[in-house]
Amino acid sequence: MRTTRIVIGTIGVVVGAFGAWLLLSRQDLDQLVDTAVWLGVGVILHDGVLAVATLLIGALVLPLLPRAARGPAVVGFVVLGSVTLLAVPVLGRFGARPDNATLLDRDYVVGWMVLAAVVLVTVVVASVLRSRSGGARGPRPGGRRRPHRA
Amino acid sequence: MRARPVTLPAETDFRSRLRSAAVTARVGTWLAICFTVCFATGLISHYAQNVSQPIPFPTNPSWGYRVTQGLHVITGTAAVPLLLVKLWTVYPRLFIRPPKGGRKLLLEVLERGSIAVLVAGAIFQLASGLANSAQWYPWSFSFRATHYAIAWITIGALVVHIAVKLPTIRGALTSDVEDTTYDRPTATEPGPISRRGLLRTTWLAAGVAVLVTAGSTVPLLRKVSVFGVRSGDGPAGIPINKSAAAAKVAPAATSSSYRLTVAYGDQEVSMTRGELLSMDQTSEALPIACVEGWSASGTWTGVRVRALLDLVDAPPGSEVRVVSLQESGPYRQTVLQGNFADDDRTLLALALDGEPLALDHGYPARLIAPNRPGVLQTKWVSRLEVAA
Repeated sequence: MRTTRIVIGTIGVVVGAFGAWLLLSRQDLDQLVDTAVWLGVGVILHDGVLAVATLLIGALVLPLLPRAARGPAVVGFVVLGSVTLLAVPVLGRFGARPDNATLLDRDYVVGWMVLAAVVLVTVVVASVLRSRSGGARGPRPGGRRRPHRA
Repeated sequence: MRARPVTLPAETDFRSRLRSAAVTARVGTWLAICFTVCFATGLISHYAQNVSQPIPFPTNPSWGYRVTQGLHVITGTAAVPLLLVKLWTVYPRLFIRPPKGGRKLLLEVLERGSIAVLVAGAIFQLASGLANSAQWYPWSFSFRATHYAIAWITIGALVVHIAVKLPTIRGALTSDVEDTTYDRPTATEPGPISRRGLLRTTWLAAGVAVLVTAGSTVPLLRKVSVFGVRSGDGPAGIPINKSAAAAKVAPAATSSSYRLTVAYGDQEVSMTRGELLSMDQTSEALPIACVEGWSASGTWTGVRVRALLDLVDAPPGSEVRVVSLQESGPYRQTVLQGNFADDDRTLLALALDGEPLALDHGYPARLIAPNRPGVLQTKWVSRLEVAA
């Protein structure tokens, strides 16, 4: 196992170093600085903004929901949240051009509202079904502590 | 809320048992599969666009590039929910206090460094790729060179990460998802859903992500892909990447003085569009597949490129320089490798789906070849040239 890991790890280092060489050798300094900014900002936006926002939503919004709705709400949040995030470039239509009607040729905001409505209805229906079938199936938040979903 | 001073949380403050290596390893496996497919299909595309190809890029199957590029964007899109959930499960590790003392500290720094590279690279690749697929370029670096280089860096960091975590990955994947062997000691509180529930939710999110975007390349999904960059509309049912207006070719392309010139050494033949139409016409159903991940199939009609090269006695296997009426731009001139030039399906197309080519599709004449990146299917062709 140890040898296998060393071999795999070494391959990884070589592959990564090749990438670093490709990155550094083919562009000028301004472009590299811009690349570094994008690399850093991505991590900061995830770790410092998105992850924290998710924590806050979990801690503040979930306890307000009836117990039977918490599971479906989490599912809905993961689906709608992640898909909304990846749709930012089309929702913002940043790449749209007046001379090309075939590009970004949908009403993405309406599309988002339809998707959000489908998710919301599904979450509500699932919550009602769960509460009718005798409350939340699966694990329950412990009774001893208040729900804490950090 | 408990009143406490605002400080960074400690790893032990995160108590949900959903944040478990059992979940991480399972989501991570699918994420690694997506990244590997993305990397492999990306390499194919990068190579297909290289001018110099020591091993000729194959002309078969004609839909090959369409499938690999479609897969590239589909797996990259599916990776977004996978990456978000995976990072969520390991987020507490960000707050582990570094150990004190020489060797342990060094190892920790190295491991954390490799993870920082992996996370930064993964987020960068997905964000820049998604922006590129929507033709949004809010940066000054070259997208192709940077996305390519960081792909190698990210895959390298991923391989290192797998080497470091191999015992945990194996242990976690071979035991039940509810097993707590690899859990942090404080991660004991049940979440609002089970671990299996979280996994199913993640697969669902990845599936929805694909359904709502893949219509740009999978015709069956056009109606449900509410976030598809292109719905597949356009002249003759084919979308456009660069319009005639953007390329500033309209006056030259519609001028009566347009001639196609075919040259080999000092032999040259010039033809009007009418003369091209009077040559043998061939029809081929070929896809146009763009690096941004959209694709569409059409029936193109025109003259075989090989028949044109025969007019000037260019030998078989000759590499052809294809020149467009565009006055500038990186794809004003492209190189058509010998195996593509000699393929019977490679046409200088004059019509699409029975109608004369639209100006935005490359009127008066455009190149269309099987299994070739869309950016190299040069439009508004004015010259085919073989070096003597």
